[in-house]
Amino acid sequence: MKIKYLVMLSLLLGLVAVLSGCATGMTAASWPGITVDAKNAYIAGGPYVYAVNLQTGAQTWRFPEKASTANPFDATPTLTSDGQLIVGGFDKKLYSLNPQTGQSNWQFTDARDRWIGGALATEKMIFAPNADYKLYALNMQGKLQWSFPADQSIWGTPVSDGTNIYFGTLGKKVYAVNAQTGKQIWVQDVNGAVLGSPVLGEDKLYVGTYSGSVYALDTANGFAQTITTTSTTGKDRWIWSGPALDGTNIYYGDGNGSLYAQPLSGTGQPWSQQLNGAITGTPLVTADNIVIGTEAGNVYFIDRTGENLRPISISGKVYSSPVAAGTLVLVSPTDGSAVLVALDQTGAVKWSFTPAK
Amino acid sequence: MWETIIVAPFTNALLMIYKLIGGNFGIAIILFTILIRVITHPLMVSQIKGSTKMQEMQSSKEWQEIQKKYKDDKQALSQEQMKYYKSIGYNPLSSCLPSIIQIPLIFGLYQSIIRALAASPLQLLTLTRSVYPFFEVGDLVPLNSKFLWMNLGQPERIYVFGYAIPLLAIIVAITTYIQSKVTMPPSTNPRDQGAMMGKMMTLYMPLLLGYFALTFASGLSVYFIIGNLIGIAQYALLGKVNWRALIPGRKPAPALATRKK
Repeated sequence: MKIKYLVMLSLLLGLVAVLSGCATGMTAASWPGITVDAKNAYIAGGPYVYAVNLQTGAQTWRFPEKASTANPFDATPTLTSDGQLIVGGFDKKLYSLNPQTGQSNWQFTDARDRWIGGALATEKMIFAPNADYKLYALNMQGKLQWSFPADQSIWGTPVSDGTNIYFGTLGKKVYAVNAQTGKQIWVQDVNGAVLGSPVLGEDKLYVGTYSGSVYALDTANGFAQTITTTSTTGKDRWIWSGPALDGTNIYYGDGNGSLYAQPLSGTGQPWSQQLNGAITGTPLVTADNIVIGTEAGNVYFIDRTGENLRPISISGKVYSSPVAAGTLVLVSPTDGSAVLVALDQTGAVKWSFTPAK
Repeated sequence: MWETIIVAPFTNALLMIYKLIGGNFGIAIILFTILIRVITHPLMVSQIKGSTKMQEMQSSKEWQEIQKKYKDDKQALSQEQMKYYKSIGYNPLSSCLPSIIQIPLIFGLYQSIIRALAASPLQLLTLTRSVYPFFEVGDLVPLNSKFLWMNLGQPERIYVFGYAIPLLAIIVAITTYIQSKVTMPPSTNPRDQGAMMGKMMTLYMPLLLGYFALTFASGLSVYFIIGNLIGIAQYALLGKVNWRALIPGRKPAPALATRKK
């Protein structure tokens, strides 16, 4: 009899251990998001939001004081024109912080799910997408103005042309919603989930899909055309983040590690490069280079012609999109020793930020 | 290894059921839990039989005499017990081995539910890598995680007059309590350590699983509830459910093992 109950006790303890382990696993649920101003880089990564001085790579502040490993921050922080830093957490709260001090201004607590996508800030409004299928429009004091119910979770940061807000959903749809009223202007089906942010070109909205296509949608009516698809076949053909534009080309990567450049006009020369790991971020277009990270832990600098591939090895997996800060390129690795690494345009590491334990 | 043998096949089986029934993940969890319980039913039968035999043995005169005679010599007691097991053809592992075999299945089921729900980017990336080539991953996403009033990827609450009530966690705690109570073999021996431990489990397990249901994805709560109900049904099928145990103040029924049908 004792043996049986010892087994039951072991089962119970095992259950606690496994479930707790899985719960901990849930905390590393996404990858960090970065935004910058003239002075600091702001990283929402794991249990904290950090402000890191761009000159020195030293921590300016971190939020919150006491971390909750069960509720990480992974949504890209957003700076508003009136000096707020907006960031959502897995605790279902959207925070407004003072970018100078890290002190909380207000919290928005009406959402029913996690904040995975970053918010969009216009001059007078904040548009925050939530995994609870809603886009929330708040004023600068954090008061709800309207909410728009979409068909599925919204993981990407919306974009705006000043009149409408555009965003994609996991439900394979792209929406245009009036920024003032929250009324739907149009909705368009695409062939796969839209996990990342759309990008606005001239009268066109570009989105990448989980099924490996890039669409150009007419911003006026949502009319959609597939402009390109990945050459990868099988389950790695997904496009995770939104594409990048430079006026001539559209750049995007896929799950197989292929980086593509597709001319927008049809007169240019498309190119692709095979990198060493899956690409989940949006490529960064600088004056001379395309910069992108891979899951295998490399950051690549590539000429905008698609030549001269220069891999830089980083400790950790580079899931998040690289961000420009003056002449620096910032990347935030996952599972690496540093939370933020600053590279110059040659790919040399200028500094890296590792938080104190 | 754990991933290849347990988690990936379970995740794909779960997704297969989800596709076959037209995209309802709640029903997929229920059917998959039933499937696993049906497959492991022979193990459960063997476990119940082992427990029954142990009950019979403990109420026998010979066993009690051995306990009395060697109560101060643990080594001799253990040797005599083993001899007695042999003489009646009882294998002490027969009641606990099936439980041990079920442990990885239960854990695997839990992990596959969490994985398939893919409620965050890294979880979706992991799911993408786990699915077998015959699935069109583009079609699997998004997984419909809504079931009745719940989002299966999130802890469940229902809102009544602005108050968040964790209904599912309450149901998990109640069904766990009922299952523990009605399937626990009755004991008339106040010194029976196993029975004392069983009573503690009856108290702690509902609280623990209720806490898990309160904290973790509600898909897990659905699994707990269905698992509890099936567990009761399995015992009932074998005539081993003691409903009297649910009535407060009722004296324990005669040991099920010694009851004559």
